[in-house]
Amino acid sequence: MIDVQHLTKQYAGRTAVSDISFQVEPGEIVGFLGPNGAGKSTTMRILSGYMPATSGHARVAGFDVFHQSIQVRQSVGYMPEMAPLYTDMKVKEYLRFRAELKGLSGHAMRRRVGEVMELTGVTDMRRRLIGNLSKGYRQRVALADALVHKPGLLILDEPTNGLDPVQIRHVRDLLRSLKSKHTVLLSTHILHEVEQTCDRVIMIHQGRLRANDTPQNLTSQLRSTTLLHLELDGAGNLAEKLAALPGVRKTTEEKLLVQPWRRFTLRVEPGHDIRDAVLELAMQQKWRVREMHRQLPNLEDVFVELSMNAGTPTDIPTHVL
Amino acid sequence: MRIFWILLKKELHAFFVSPVAYVVLALVMILNGFAFRAALSVLESAPSEGSIVSWTFHAMWFWLSYFFIFPLLTMRLFAEEKKMGTLETLFTAPVRAWQVVGSKYLASVIVYGVLWLPSLFNFKFAQWISAGQVEVPPGAMQGAYLIIMVMGMFNLAVGCFASSLTANQIVAAILSFTLSLLHFLLGIFVMVVGRKLSDTIVDIVNYFAATEHIRTFTAGLIDSRTLVYYLSMSMLFLTFTHHVVEFRRWRP
Repeated sequence: MIDVQHLTKQYAGRTAVSDISFQVEPGEIVGFLGPNGAGKSTTMRILSGYMPATSGHARVAGFDVFHQSIQVRQSVGYMPEMAPLYTDMKVKEYLRFRAELKGLSGHAMRRRVGEVMELTGVTDMRRRLIGNLSKGYRQRVALADALVHKPGLLILDEPTNGLDPVQIRHVRDLLRSLKSKHTVLLSTHILHEVEQTCDRVIMIHQGRLRANDTPQNLTSQLRSTTLLHLELDGAGNLAEKLAALPGVRKTTEEKLLVQPWRRFTLRVEPGHDIRDAVLELAMQQKWRVREMHRQLPNLEDVFVELSMNAGTPTDIPTHVL
Repeated sequence: MRIFWILLKKELHAFFVSPVAYVVLALVMILNGFAFRAALSVLESAPSEGSIVSWTFHAMWFWLSYFFIFPLLTMRLFAEEKKMGTLETLFTAPVRAWQVVGSKYLASVIVYGVLWLPSLFNFKFAQWISAGQVEVPPGAMQGAYLIIMVMGMFNLAVGCFASSLTANQIVAAILSFTLSLLHFLLGIFVMVVGRKLSDTIVDIVNYFAATEHIRTFTAGLIDSRTLVYYLSMSMLFLTFTHHVVEFRRWRP
């Protein structure tokens, strides 16, 4: 669906995106991650045909984004950051205007506008001026606009930015439901979102590709330690015995108010799963166990690690044109 | 072409839902009223060669309206979309730059045309209350409205261009006002220092001068050179506008 080859974009003397290559297959939901100013929006703007790359090629749905810009725009539903809309139009009026621009007309256009308003939950707002809508509703109108011509590819630049938790959940469910019909490339800062929604993650930092894998693979490859939380009741020196287990790097005990329960947190070397060993030890020592929970490193850790490894973030551009 | 009409409809809608069009219309009507009254008092005080049409469009009031119309009608066309970021939404839909530029320009020309409709009524009214004593020569009427239209088309194209250069409406307005004013001052320049200049220079400047065009056309002389001049200059500025808008796509 998307084929990006050695894409580079330079603004007056500053490189926003540098030699990025990646592919997105039809039906995938791909999360596009990176700190502010990493080049996410720039890449998305190039892919949506808004501006050209300095060098390299990008094809969307088989069309070249520069030479076949109109066809690309026809097959992409793009939602820019901040969801810019015409504030002097009403919701339904705006969506009908956009649908007509994108080639729909007559009865089919009216029906489709009704559908996307229902899908994004703006039907009740259809007679309101966009200028009077809250940020969340504007965001949804922009999403409805991106969806209106049933594009094969949706490019969403921070679609959940500025939404409340309920709305974020709504957008997440919506994106999942779209999966069968659309390919989705979305950028976000909310890593939790990506872990739950995306099939694959592309991370860029300072304009360079840092990672391109499934969220699970990214987190398992990470060299950070996992944590094991335990609540035990038993006699003897529990901490010492736990620390003696293979792969345990550090044991800390937390004071609990409820006696006789004691809470331990074990920091475990990567590649070790000591849950079985802990249970065996507990049975052997006749300890009672009422909680055991393993905490894997999450995408946030991956993100931080990748950003840190890339060097000091001093040369991150402060704004993207 | 379909896209063009959709965009045109949207642009006209934008003009008429905002108060700008109505405020400009009201001001133009008031100033036309003053211009018309000034023409009547000239004709009242002494016999004159000029018709009521030519006196109306020579009044200071007419030029006053002439200057503020163009900045007000064109300043928001591109500047507002740039500031709001909607240009990005617009150009990621399958539209071409000429469709956007053309629709915005044509919408402003249509609104401009509407502004002058009430002034036609002034002349009808004068004929009616004077029982036909006030002579309104049809040739002068046709010439006057023709030159107002083509001059307007030129200045609106200049305004479009000014608006495409900036994201600030005030800057766009000042820019288009300045360009229109400079164009107008060419005629004043000849009036002030014309005697010291050679005839060739006066002729050349008069070819460009708005005041001179108004003078000939309101006398009923329809000069095709002037029409060609304004229409070709409009095309030139629209081409500039198109290139500025499209430059985004070509910038390396």
